[in-house]
Amino acid sequence: MSTLAEMWPFLRAGFTNTLVLLALSLVLSTILGTVLASMRVSPVLPLRAFGTSYVNIFRNTPLVVMFILIVEGFPPVDIRPNIEAIGLNTFETLAVFALTIYTAAFVCEALRSGVNTVDPGQAEAARAVGMTFTQTLSVIVLPQAFRAVIPPLASVYIALTKNTSVAAAFGVVEATAQLSRMNEQTVAGTGVLFFGIAAGYVVIVWVISGIAAFLERQVATAR
Amino acid sequence: MTEAALVPKSAEGGDSALVVLDGVNKWFGDLHVLQNINLTISRGEVAVVIGPSGGGKSTFCRTINRLEPIDQGEIRLDGKPLPAEGKGLARLRADVGMVFQAFNLFAHKTVLQNVTLGPIKVRGKREQDASERAQQLLDRVGVADQAHKYPAQLSGGQQQRVAIARALAMEPKVMLFDEPTSALDPEMIKEVLDVMVDLAKGGMTMVVVTHEMGFARTAANRVLFMADGQIVEEATPNEFFTNPKSDRAKDFLGKILKH
Amino acid sequence: MRFVRTKTLATAGVVALSMALAACGGDESGGDGAEVEVEEGDFPEGSQMAEFQEAGEITIGVKFDQPGIGFQQPGEDTPTGFDIEIGEYVAGKLGIEPENIGWRETVSDNREPFLENGTVDLVIASYTINEERRAIVGQAGPYYTTGQQILVREEDAETIDGPDKLSEVSVCSVTGSTSLENVVRDYGAEPAPFDTYSACVRQLQNETVDAVTTDGAILLGYAAQDPDNLEVVGEEFSEEPYGIGYYPNDDTEMCEFLNETIQQSIDDGYWAEGFEATLGQSGIETPDPPEQDPCP
Repeated sequence: MSTLAEMWPFLRAGFTNTLVLLALSLVLSTILGTVLASMRVSPVLPLRAFGTSYVNIFRNTPLVVMFILIVEGFPPVDIRPNIEAIGLNTFETLAVFALTIYTAAFVCEALRSGVNTVDPGQAEAARAVGMTFTQTLSVIVLPQAFRAVIPPLASVYIALTKNTSVAAAFGVVEATAQLSRMNEQTVAGTGVLFFGIAAGYVVIVWVISGIAAFLERQVATAR
Repeated sequence: MTEAALVPKSAEGGDSALVVLDGVNKWFGDLHVLQNINLTISRGEVAVVIGPSGGGKSTFCRTINRLEPIDQGEIRLDGKPLPAEGKGLARLRADVGMVFQAFNLFAHKTVLQNVTLGPIKVRGKREQDASERAQQLLDRVGVADQAHKYPAQLSGGQQQRVAIARALAMEPKVMLFDEPTSALDPEMIKEVLDVMVDLAKGGMTMVVVTHEMGFARTAANRVLFMADGQIVEEATPNEFFTNPKSDRAKDFLGKILKH
Repeated sequence: MRFVRTKTLATAGVVALSMALAACGGDESGGDGAEVEVEEGDFPEGSQMAEFQEAGEITIGVKFDQPGIGFQQPGEDTPTGFDIEIGEYVAGKLGIEPENIGWRETVSDNREPFLENGTVDLVIASYTINEERRAIVGQAGPYYTTGQQILVREEDAETIDGPDKLSEVSVCSVTGSTSLENVVRDYGAEPAPFDTYSACVRQLQNETVDAVTTDGAILLGYAAQDPDNLEVVGEEFSEEPYGIGYYPNDDTEMCEFLNETIQQSIDDGYWAEGFEATLGQSGIETPDPPEQDPCP
């Protein structure tokens, strides 16, 4: 137990940071991804083209490259954001940027695949009663796409959880960076430390999967 | 509530031409599906479109509210040309009721919500007013007791009657029916046609694509015979069924009436 | 326990042959480092040293990204640096030719695991000796002692002139390094972990961090690359004794062999020669060699 007591401050500090990164980039990438998915199914060609290009570019760029581009590319042109209000320094903010821009492409595709499962007649009927594109999407199509979207979206968020660890090499002291710190500062074996960190990630992923399963059941019984 | 309440004010008076198609052409790739269609549908008129499959009937019907865009020509509704995609088109569609072959009821909404959604979201009506009106319409089409069920819990005939109520809730100037009974089991066809006949008697302007010759005889003011993307013949039902002029129409009627 | 050295005729023959070979090939192989003598030792049966000598090859974990210490030049087959010089000397004492050494890149995080699971036989990778590590692996030596210093931008050299000015200053170092822990724990610095020192130096140039910290020798190399903008400040504020990692940590024979070998390299002038050919190139004077810690 002394090992756990020794590890605890590191784990707490690390996972607090990991959860902040996760929460912010999850919310922001979902918003951005929804906008992109709307673009990809919109009747306006330039919007469709933009959505498609975005997905093709950022889904096919390795996350580490995104981090390098943003963390090493923004400051020289004087983009040094920080969100002091919630205690985010420049590196943490840039990490949220990188994770959001990257993950939004995957959120977009998960949503689009869900939209494709909805019978096109539903959208036709909505248009026929005079709904605008936005109403058709938000009132008729997306709510029905939601159920089909839960499993792929959960996968995207689980991947995002693990992807936050990339920030450990870009100035952010999150859970994975704490693993290295503990390696330096404690006498616990690497295996034990690894287990502590891995357990933290497993808990987060487990919560996401649990919420997804719960939502799936809710939607299923609502029919 | 009388039957007249189903018919909006705009159906009375004013210019008698409600829907005008002027030199309309449409292609699907190389296929010329609508060939130079010129047609005027007057207020209160019930036009029934019949003809062989693949003749362009459904496409014709769907161009009237621009669910299918056209390549050439112009379509005017109540004197105004159909706008391109956008808010203007959405406003115009609100004035055109549409009933689909596959019903297309909103699967995640109750029957009542299906009927109130348009008036609330598009017309900006208060929920209570929309619900009261919806209950009247559901009562009118005979499914008032199903109001809180989901579409999947209803029979096909019931679903299609809800779809008609949904269209009527928007107080449309004209109703389009795209083969409304083709997906129904035979015993349910009558309950839907009865509602449509009532509507026609009430003075609703209707364009009906159908294979139901009985409906055409009893309810139509005019029969349009469409084949190969053209309106081959137009006549009163009596004239068309007793004395068709074109060979295509004679051939078609010969095939369907011999049984 | 000490073992008796008896040089056999065969060993002498091998030494003579290898010296002749080294003389012939001197221009191609280790041309930029110190010459290594390869000679077979007499090791107790079953010892790790005997096993390495028997196999005629050894895998050594080194850094690939630290100029002057352990650095793999793109396009080169083998790394160069002071750690590599030491590695070649140790291998020579095991009768292993330089070309039979497998150089394996180790980073700060994987040195213990690589030793534990046998991925590498020894670690000579700017591997600071400390008790936490010695609880897991063995560390012989030290063979070199440097100290932690601070690299800052030229314009900040007046204000950040030592570690005591690092409180709440954003300091970059390699994820999980001792250096980073030192300034966080002792001086209240804000840690900014990156995976390489060169990434840290770019952050310093980008002004996203205000200092980079690690062993002085490494920082001097970077300062030399951009002398107008970067400056190493303050005294060395820690002692970083570099040791040779081995496994398991209770292998006293291995520890004694390594310590003896280090002392020999100092005594025969190889150590100074190797230093001058590597770290010495950055302009710093050759320091006095360190004393080795006693073996456990």
